[in-house]
Amino acid sequence: MRKHRLLLVLALLVGALSLLAAGCGGGDDEAAGEGTTEAATTAEENVSGSIKIAGLWTGGEGESFKAVLDGFREQYPDVTVTYQPAGEDLPTILATGVEGGNPPDLATLSSPGVIKSFVDKGALQPIDFATDALAENYSESFVDLTTFDGKTYGVVFKGANKSTVWYNVKAFEDAGVEPPTTWDELLEAGDTLKASGVTPYSIGAADGWTLTDLFENVYLRTAGGEKYDQLATHEIPWTDQSVKDALAEMAKIFQSDNVAGGTSSALQTDFPTSVTQVFTDPPKAAIVMEGDFVGTFITTETTAKIGEDANVFTFPSINDSPPVVVGAGDSVVMFKDSPAARAMITYLASAEAAELWAKRGGFSSPNKTLDESVYPDDITRKLASELAQAETFRFDLSDLQPQVLNEALFAELAGFVKDPANIDGTTEKLEAVAKKAYP
Amino acid sequence: MSSTGSSTVTAAPPITEVPPPPSSRGKYAVSLAFLAPAIFFLGVWVVYPAVRTLIRSFYSDQGGEFVWFENYEALFQDETIQTAIKNNVIWVLVVPAAVTAFGLLFAVLTERVPWAPAFKVAVFVPLAVSLFAVGVIWRIMYQQDPDRGAINAGIVAIQGVFTEQGALTTAKPSTDSLAGSPEGGLTLTNAVRPGSVALLGLTAIKAGELPAEPEQAVTPEAIPDGITGVVWRDFKPGGGTPGEVEQDEVGLGGVTIKLRSADGKTVGSTTSDADGSFAFEGVEGGDYRVAIGKETFAEPFQGFNWLGDTLITPSLLIAFLWVQAGFAMVIIAAGLAAIPRDLLEAARTDGGTEWQVFRRITVPQLMPVLIVVLVTQIIGVLKVFDLVVSIVPSSGRDSATVIAVEMYERSFSGQNRFGFGAAISTFMFVLFVPFLILNIRRFRKEN
Amino acid sequence: MAVAEAPHSPVVIDESIATRVLRVLGRAPVHIALAIIGVLWLMPTIGLLFTSLLTPSDAQSAGWWQVFAEPSVVTFENYGNIFRDDGIVGSLWVTAQVTLGATILPILVASLAGYAFAWLEFPGRDWFFLGVIALLLVPLQMSLIPIFELYNKTGLYDTIVGLVFFHSAFALPFGIFLLRNFFAGIPRDLLEAARIDGASELRIFARVILPLGIPAIAALGIFQVLFVWNDLLVGLVLAQDNQPIAPEIFSQLRQFGANLEIIAPAAFFSAVIPLTIFAMFQRYFVEGLLAGSVK
Repeated sequence: MRKHRLLLVLALLVGALSLLAAGCGGGDDEAAGEGTTEAATTAEENVSGSIKIAGLWTGGEGESFKAVLDGFREQYPDVTVTYQPAGEDLPTILATGVEGGNPPDLATLSSPGVIKSFVDKGALQPIDFATDALAENYSESFVDLTTFDGKTYGVVFKGANKSTVWYNVKAFEDAGVEPPTTWDELLEAGDTLKASGVTPYSIGAADGWTLTDLFENVYLRTAGGEKYDQLATHEIPWTDQSVKDALAEMAKIFQSDNVAGGTSSALQTDFPTSVTQVFTDPPKAAIVMEGDFVGTFITTETTAKIGEDANVFTFPSINDSPPVVVGAGDSVVMFKDSPAARAMITYLASAEAAELWAKRGGFSSPNKTLDESVYPDDITRKLASELAQAETFRFDLSDLQPQVLNEALFAELAGFVKDPANIDGTTEKLEAVAKKAYP
Repeated sequence: MSSTGSSTVTAAPPITEVPPPPSSRGKYAVSLAFLAPAIFFLGVWVVYPAVRTLIRSFYSDQGGEFVWFENYEALFQDETIQTAIKNNVIWVLVVPAAVTAFGLLFAVLTERVPWAPAFKVAVFVPLAVSLFAVGVIWRIMYQQDPDRGAINAGIVAIQGVFTEQGALTTAKPSTDSLAGSPEGGLTLTNAVRPGSVALLGLTAIKAGELPAEPEQAVTPEAIPDGITGVVWRDFKPGGGTPGEVEQDEVGLGGVTIKLRSADGKTVGSTTSDADGSFAFEGVEGGDYRVAIGKETFAEPFQGFNWLGDTLITPSLLIAFLWVQAGFAMVIIAAGLAAIPRDLLEAARTDGGTEWQVFRRITVPQLMPVLIVVLVTQIIGVLKVFDLVVSIVPSSGRDSATVIAVEMYERSFSGQNRFGFGAAISTFMFVLFVPFLILNIRRFRKEN
Repeated sequence: MAVAEAPHSPVVIDESIATRVLRVLGRAPVHIALAIIGVLWLMPTIGLLFTSLLTPSDAQSAGWWQVFAEPSVVTFENYGNIFRDDGIVGSLWVTAQVTLGATILPILVASLAGYAFAWLEFPGRDWFFLGVIALLLVPLQMSLIPIFELYNKTGLYDTIVGLVFFHSAFALPFGIFLLRNFFAGIPRDLLEAARIDGASELRIFARVILPLGIPAIAALGIFQVLFVWNDLLVGLVLAQDNQPIAPEIFSQLRQFGANLEIIAPAAFFSAVIPLTIFAMFQRYFVEGLLAGSVK
């Protein structure tokens, strides 16, 4: 009897400890709130407190964002702001913070799909107090991005114009090719480049989002804005003919001798390499189809000069499609409500905040009241302007999807690069995941 | 485990009476005292979260709803998870044995070498470098492109010693008049006779293979009893007209042109001049074929596609082995150090060979430590995460994923499916515990 | 309490030159094999080293072996850049404290428990031991959330003690496993002799077990140092202002960009300390303890 007694005691101890703690923990996950119902007052000196922002911007971009925060500090000297750059670990920190009951006050999120999943968990606070500021500064399509069930949850602070194509100037000159304005011209240019001895396209398929970006640009132009919206909300299935048509166009790019290193190499090439390899001497490819942030990349990671060695043209129209812009953006959302946090949100929605970064370069603001002359060079200005003033603008479709579908898109499109003939198989797999994601 | 009684051990007085052990109660109190700190730490930091995870797995992803076994159902139906489990099984079958074997080999061999410490540091370095960085280096090393990936670069370099690279590895015909393939060589489809001029136009020549000092391509005159021709780069900025030698199109010198008679025998071979022109003189009448031999296009084997679907898991296993062998080596070396020297000496003086001593004395003595290494590796392999995440590209995820990655993806990386993630964790635990126990009991029995 | 010594067997053998040459030659294959293996093993790390000495554009444009062709591309600017952030020094100090604590504590706790499992009798001992080993399966990530919550409630969030306890706890399953198996190999006679002499368990533990267990304890120690020093995830989640070095450096990774110019020097820099400790303490792994006398 005594033998077993000890064992029993031990087991009970451990068991009790666990159950006790588990009971205390529960399954809760709403954000701990310090909610006040006071709106941010105009007497800015009164606002005090301390807030923490977790964000994705690090390195040079982090410095620029800090400059933006400095502007805030000037206006609100009594508020302590800490910026926690988290880079790629941001999702982990946010997930843990929310589940564990202590998230940061504010955070940057680049995917409205993820924003929605946090809203569904009840983790985010609506920013109704900023409605006027938002209406003034942003076009409706940007505000709608972070609006769910009639409430807005974030400010789209940093934008990205993804309907851009960058190229190696010398390669184009040597081949006698002009920047194309239509899709057919682009394909022709590709063939000419190939004959001149340069592989036309650089694809960073190891980073699936480069493939979804291409798909979105093609789809928006072949199927139109309405269908794009329907696809984004799964009103039409992924097996719809419009999707297959878009994939068929993409397949023209993905022939193995069109792509730098061949298809199998492209699948291992990550986005950074897909950019830098266009600007080596000799280049591995002539064209890389990605957004305006490529420009910053070229400046920091290569020796090429924009305007001289590298240049950009707008994504070509397909079958006479009107000018449209596919874009993305990083939003700032609020986990914990407080006067200081509200002040920060309102500040970030203003043109002054945007200007502090815009003038440093590497930044496109969706803020339509921003004076475009602050952009440091013509190319940046042109691309940013196209974004903010776009008549037809659509947000990156994959970012609007629930994460699981987003990832399936990456994986399936990569599979499509491997086997561009398999359009039906690709769309069927996507639809299978979409069905589960949109019950 | 008991040691052998070496006759030199002790001069202790003969044992007449063993004092009675302290009362059972007191004895267990001592055990408890020794175990208490461990129980505390393990209980709070390891057991409590494990239990909480188990409980969490029965709730919905958002946390509010109790959903019984729904998460587990979803788990078993998920294809990606099935692939992950399959991959984990492969890892378990291959890696722990390999790591232990390497570790044992290194630990034993380095005993005999005076510069062992240096070697040990070399093998140990992978452990010191953060796992994330390890993934990054190997990912780069495994790049298929020999200009980027060290392994394929090595393969190409070694080949370069034995085989020659062709002068125009990427060239293709500019028109249909040239047929064939880079592997077999390109031949003019139409036969030529003496007095005709052969036009061999090529495109897609990469910049590095263009002539250093380009010369305008020139179409030579026809000669009555010979065959002339020109091989040139049939491209000028804007494209030009394929098949015609135009202004600004460059001749390709130094290319070997072959002349073949109607029955396929090579009757002549010449090299083109800097302006691309060539001539076969003194040719008898008849039909001939003009060709560019395949040596011109020869590209040596460029290496393997390490990150492709077929090789990705072996590539991961190699990288993992690279890191963990040092771990095994250090632990086994510690075990070796603890073997009583006199045991080994006695065995040797008794006339045993090195191999016999190794088998009969060393390995059994090492058994407990070998088990530690094996078991730790098995478990480490079940939990492997960092390497898979940093080495495998998006496209490979479906073939190379492992269960820890799936768990992380569902819970943390924006999917926020904590209930499901918890179910995966619990499943991992439940699945492997009996397997573990079975193996441990087996080893213990063998002892 | 004396334990007799095993006799030293000094190796003084008269060898003829021929025999000696034969002996060295016989060893030669081993030397050569080990040398080749050693160099191959180092290749990836050397690659990383050279990558850390190249500017981002150079590193992207060609493989790291370009250093041999053009030594002039070597630069130390990457190292300079990661230190630009003045949080680094503070982080180093935090990391040192956490590593020290999270090495000593689990060694103590695991030794005590390991001895209990190896040489003390109590009911259910072996099953309990198996249970401890099974805990090796609990992944770190899954403990993060419950512990994060716990720490927030108990004020251990963002403290050095919090980090130390977390790491120590997770070191225990392996530590107890290793030490118990190691201790079990200690000759029973030594323990019996000590017990007969009337020593308490604690005394036996301190005077007999610990000294004999030094190789395993040293091995455990070095691995724990490595793991804690390089840890990224735990420090990221459970600390904020007092972040250890890996999260501090790795949070500098940019959204785009291969970030090689941060990862490569950071990885090297982080590797230096553990490697130095390993090199310095290597002899403890190999000291033949039973060849000496034990008091």
